[in-house]
Amino acid sequence: MKKQLMLLVGLMLVLSVFLAACTGKENAVGEKEVEKDKEKETKTEEKPEEKPAEGDALVFPLDVANTAAAKEDGELTFGLVSDSPFEGTLSPVFYSGAYDADVMQFFVEDLLATDGDYLITNDGAATYEISDDNKTITLKIADNVNWHDGEPVKASDLLYTYELLGHPDYVGDRYDFMIENVVGMPAYNKGETDKISGINVISDKEIAITYTEATPSLLSGIVTYPTPRHHVGDVTAGELTMEEIVASDKIRVNPIGFGPYKVAKIVPGESVLFERSEDYWRGKPANKTVVLKVVSSATALEALKKGEIDFASVPVDQYENAKKVENVELLAKVDLAYTYIGFNLGQWEEKENVMDPSKKMSNKLVRQAMWHAMDNDTIGKELYHGLRFPATTLIIPVFASFHDGDNPGRGYDAEKAKALLDEAGYKDVDGDGFRENDKGEEFVLNFASMAGGETAEPIAQFYMQNWADVGIKVELLDGRLHEFNSFYDMLKAGESKIDIYQGAWGTGSDPDPSGLYGRTASFNYSHYTSEKNDELLTAGTSEKAFDSDYRKDIYNQWQALMVEDVPVAPTVYRYALTATNKRMVNYSIEAGTPNYNPWMWGVSE
Amino acid sequence: MLKFILRRTLIMIPQLLVLSLIIFLLAKAMPGDAVTSSFMSNPNVTPEQMEKMREKLGLNDSWYVQYGHWVGNAVQGDFGQSFTHKQPVTSLLAGRVGNTLLLSTGILIVTYIIAIPLGIIAGRWTDSWADKLIVTYNYFAFATPLFVFSLLMLFLFSFILGWTPIGGSVDIRIETGSFDYIVSKVKHLILPVMSGALLATFGTIQYLRNDIIDTKLKDFVKTARAKGVPESKVYTRHILRNSLLPIAAFLGYEITGLIAGSIFLEMIFSYPGLGQLFIQSVMGRDFTVVTALVMISGTAAIVGTMLSDIILSIVDPRIRID
Repeated sequence: MKKQLMLLVGLMLVLSVFLAACTGKENAVGEKEVEKDKEKETKTEEKPEEKPAEGDALVFPLDVANTAAAKEDGELTFGLVSDSPFEGTLSPVFYSGAYDADVMQFFVEDLLATDGDYLITNDGAATYEISDDNKTITLKIADNVNWHDGEPVKASDLLYTYELLGHPDYVGDRYDFMIENVVGMPAYNKGETDKISGINVISDKEIAITYTEATPSLLSGIVTYPTPRHHVGDVTAGELTMEEIVASDKIRVNPIGFGPYKVAKIVPGESVLFERSEDYWRGKPANKTVVLKVVSSATALEALKKGEIDFASVPVDQYENAKKVENVELLAKVDLAYTYIGFNLGQWEEKENVMDPSKKMSNKLVRQAMWHAMDNDTIGKELYHGLRFPATTLIIPVFASFHDGDNPGRGYDAEKAKALLDEAGYKDVDGDGFRENDKGEEFVLNFASMAGGETAEPIAQFYMQNWADVGIKVELLDGRLHEFNSFYDMLKAGESKIDIYQGAWGTGSDPDPSGLYGRTASFNYSHYTSEKNDELLTAGTSEKAFDSDYRKDIYNQWQALMVEDVPVAPTVYRYALTATNKRMVNYSIEAGTPNYNPWMWGVSE
Repeated sequence: MLKFILRRTLIMIPQLLVLSLIIFLLAKAMPGDAVTSSFMSNPNVTPEQMEKMREKLGLNDSWYVQYGHWVGNAVQGDFGQSFTHKQPVTSLLAGRVGNTLLLSTGILIVTYIIAIPLGIIAGRWTDSWADKLIVTYNYFAFATPLFVFSLLMLFLFSFILGWTPIGGSVDIRIETGSFDYIVSKVKHLILPVMSGALLATFGTIQYLRNDIIDTKLKDFVKTARAKGVPESKVYTRHILRNSLLPIAAFLGYEITGLIAGSIFLEMIFSYPGLGQLFIQSVMGRDFTVVTALVMISGTAAIVGTMLSDIILSIVDPRIRID
């Protein structure tokens, strides 16, 4: 028995060393994947004029400079930068990895196109109409939209997507608010009925979806990718089970869509060969073939240089090198993500967040001071070569219509920070160089931060120095950084040892922040609540908010409230880099523009 | 002999059970689970949704219930569903194992092709310039980290010279099954195999060299020489046969390595195999895949040791246990 115990302890030690050795890289990837995922779900757009006027801020093009004509029967090669194979679940209903989304962009399409603000338009494969009460949307699919096997795309194929997403056996993360909001969906999801009463297939090409609650999220959050019922098989008719459909070759080996290219061949996890779909509804796609291959992050740049791949997203740490490569052009836009410092203000009780005034960070002035104390500009310039820049508010500039460009947030100003702390009554009583709290007691904060990448540690240290400079003593929780999973486990459990933490959010295409900062939001890790906050968040998604001006005003107020109350302090926004070979033409990363569509992307001679 | 094999096989059963229990408990002890790691940063998923998913996946049951289920299915060859890949673990592994076996068998063969002659040369002509060169190379192979060396190889042969492709296992444009296809596969395999093999040689060379030097001084070699056996025959017949014993025994362990795959090689050369899958699954908390993979390499280790013992007892009658 003793021997076995020793063996167990020994094995655990060995394993823990092994796992510890892996964590650095893992986390970096983990975080990246999650963020990338968000980015994929909703393409980013950046308005240059929305950037904070930092004087020497970087400016990147959104379109390739080459304006030559595309080669008639060219071949375009896309480098999927990843240190692990793509998973190969090639269905928008079932996939979870961001890399799979990269693969699908060439052959899968939404029925409705979106504009630069990620709002649906009538330029896609289907057109829509919204009823007067804003609760029903009717989609009409164009006649020339066909699956790659020649079958027409039918209204019932879109219904099938909803039937799969809401199915009691569905395991995945796409059953979200906009799906559940469909009339009759909760009952269908519980297995009480086999029909979704809110979805009405009017004809082969026409479908109406009715929602329980009217919300402007409809314009950015509606799911419009159909699933080829005839190809993958019908779960509702009992032809096969959910598990079989997910594991089936119809999704992994020979998936079909109605996008510009069709899948000709897949080498699992490694590369995909696409051929031009002659039948594409928009017209003739630019290239005869498109090749997608996985390249490791270490070799991506060299592959670009050699012309083995035509375009790829480049990791930030290779930016300096990428700039120097002769035949490569760099495009960049602001990513749908931001990093922030959160303050623990309470806990999660039952089903809502409750503020606790006894928390160390309860004083608003101290939080404001801590934001002013952080020199984010230096972080962005020194550690990210300028690819990250100071954040101002909690609605990212990507949402050009909702981000309040006039709100300066709280810039770096150590003197102001000190003044705020003095005002709050936090003074250095015992002369050790650090301030005590307003009651004269010792004031030491525990800072939780995630491990991952080379920059995690220097950034945490830098902020701690920033805070020390204004007299606030901050220590790393447990004296070290924490692994991705355990970090979020601690936050979720409302670990009371944590006073402040650093996190990052990928935001969806919907500017609505209630999922992160609402009273009942479980992701509201700061546990901040207030009447005003509730009021504004509700108003932002109310029926009235279909009026953009109204919504903009509400969100401006909300951003101002967040800058005033500082439940979290946004630190940096970030650029996502795309490197293209200079022979590439008709390529843009600006959402809503014609060259944003894969069918236009081509190569010149 | 048969009795020996039978006995070893019987011992394997409790060994595997203990192994599986440890693996299972360790996997459960990791912070987070598949649901957290997929959705932690996705504000669109409600906590109810996550809770429901845990319920569906059986993550809320107590550990012994989960373990019971898992063992019950595992003995029938069903390792469950991969959460990340959304397909049965067995078919997921089946898709990857081919690549890994190809890569590691290649490495193993090339390692022996390089190491055995070098070991013999170094051992036979001790202290000659050839020996010194080989020993130097050996220290270099021992000291160089695989990922640094692979990157250097990649840089030299793919980037600068352009002789080999940058990564992947095959050029997708070539038709499957054709002659060109096989050529392409080999081309893609050369660099990772060479990178792996050139560094993997040190053990074999060192063992072989030391053993030859030892055996050279044994009494039976002296006897052979005294009888007038030609020098070349002394080496091939008398010394080599004895010196190869530990190498043969080592083969069993090497087989273990075949299955586990090489994480670094696979990552650097974008070669989808089991090693990459393992890392990916650990960080995604895809427990079913992790446990299955550890279980497989654990089994391979146990079987490998047994094989080693069997090989050794075949080639070396002295240590036969009956």
